[in-house]
Amino acid sequence: MLTAQVTLEMLQRLSVFHDIPQENLTHLASAMVRRTYAAGEIIFIEGEPSIGVWFIAEGRVRIIKHSLSGRVQTLCLANAGRCFGSCPLFNNDTNPASAQALDNVTLLVLPHHELNNLIHTDSHLAAALLKIYSQRFAHLARLSEGLGTWTVANRINDCLITYADWEAVPPVVLLTHERLAALAGTVREVVTRHLSQLEKKGSIRQEPGRIILLDTDALHGHCPPE
Amino acid sequence: MTITIQMLATIPAFHRLQPVTLEALQKYVCVLSYEAGETIYRQGDAPTGLYALQKGRVKLYRRSGEKTQIIAIVPAQECFGAESLPNETPSPCTAEALTPVTTIYISPEALRQLLLEHPDLLVTLLEIVSGRLRQLAILVHDLAFRDVGARLARVLLANAETDGEITSEGFRIRRNLTQQEIASLVGTAREVVYRTYKKFERQGVLRLTRTHIYILDPQKLAEIASQETR
Repeated sequence: MLTAQVTLEMLQRLSVFHDIPQENLTHLASAMVRRTYAAGEIIFIEGEPSIGVWFIAEGRVRIIKHSLSGRVQTLCLANAGRCFGSCPLFNNDTNPASAQALDNVTLLVLPHHELNNLIHTDSHLAAALLKIYSQRFAHLARLSEGLGTWTVANRINDCLITYADWEAVPPVVLLTHERLAALAGTVREVVTRHLSQLEKKGSIRQEPGRIILLDTDALHGHCPPE
Repeated sequence: MTITIQMLATIPAFHRLQPVTLEALQKYVCVLSYEAGETIYRQGDAPTGLYALQKGRVKLYRRSGEKTQIIAIVPAQECFGAESLPNETPSPCTAEALTPVTTIYISPEALRQLLLEHPDLLVTLLEIVSGRLRQLAILVHDLAFRDVGARLARVLLANAETDGEITSEGFRIRRNLTQQEIASLVGTAREVVYRTYKKFERQGVLRLTRTHIYILDPQKLAEIASQETR
């Protein structure tokens, strides 16, 4: 784990900060530190006190819950530009989940005490965080609905649609069966069986480490509407 | 009923608001009442304003075809609503009164204006939403890793903690949710809730009457609640 300085340019690249004036960003940059983690590394653990709010400059991070038997449920996959880990700061509490680097990641951390000062003086920052929280509320509400009321097949299809790279033609999902299982709230074997059924129907094609979506309408068709 | 600044200041979420913000809020708030079962707002509606519940309880849920999943039961003195206002997206859940409800309400138009003029209100909203996010993380954990028995046990223990009375027979809780509502909270069907209650009764953990549930063996119930079967 390396700790280094954060520059204005790094913050300007993040979409969460687009509405924040340059002057505020310069100040923000000076209050933050940069850290890098290797793919698979744990960034923080559920139950520990939080050290600050984390913004992703590069790579993907998954926010996860562990069961006593070691099964993993992913709460969300956060891409570059997103932030995570700040919830405990507003309730004086511990991390409600763990965070793990999915790729090699570069993170920009705004430490607890700096956030506590800035949140009261920089309303742009507070507004930016509130937008992220509001998105996350909708996401977790939908995930709860999925776990409580959908079939496993629907949840797997929903994850394929949610986590596909839609800029690729055709869209592609860069997740292993095990990671998909953790997102969909099931085990690897069930994902493998469902994906081979989808492949037989021609809805997807599987290559090592990637799932290519060929018939996205068919996948949508099995998902409850948004 | 007129809402005074003093009344606003007693709402826990508003404790840290500046006096000037409370004063501004007071100009915009109104009081709304709902009957039990009445819908307050619907999933998919335009962003709603903020509600500070004075009396009664509200359920927040999502509907999926014929099924519903309750994502939170909001008790008196807590705030809800405005979930999608920051991004101006459709409301992510439905809010429905579980009991007769009286609530303080700030419209989305007023809230947008107040958020621009009083940044401390932004921090208050952050605190409210982050509390909900924490609850949702726990709900996801329970749905993913615990079976219906453990989830039902957790609901009962949580009820006992907030509304339980001590009797000579053990903790007593009022059955203020229908079996259908319990099922929507636990993420299962009504029949499964009924069967699980019966099983708990056979095990000597609970005794059910028409109006109350007696927790005869809280230790055993806590043991069931802590199990993670997946």
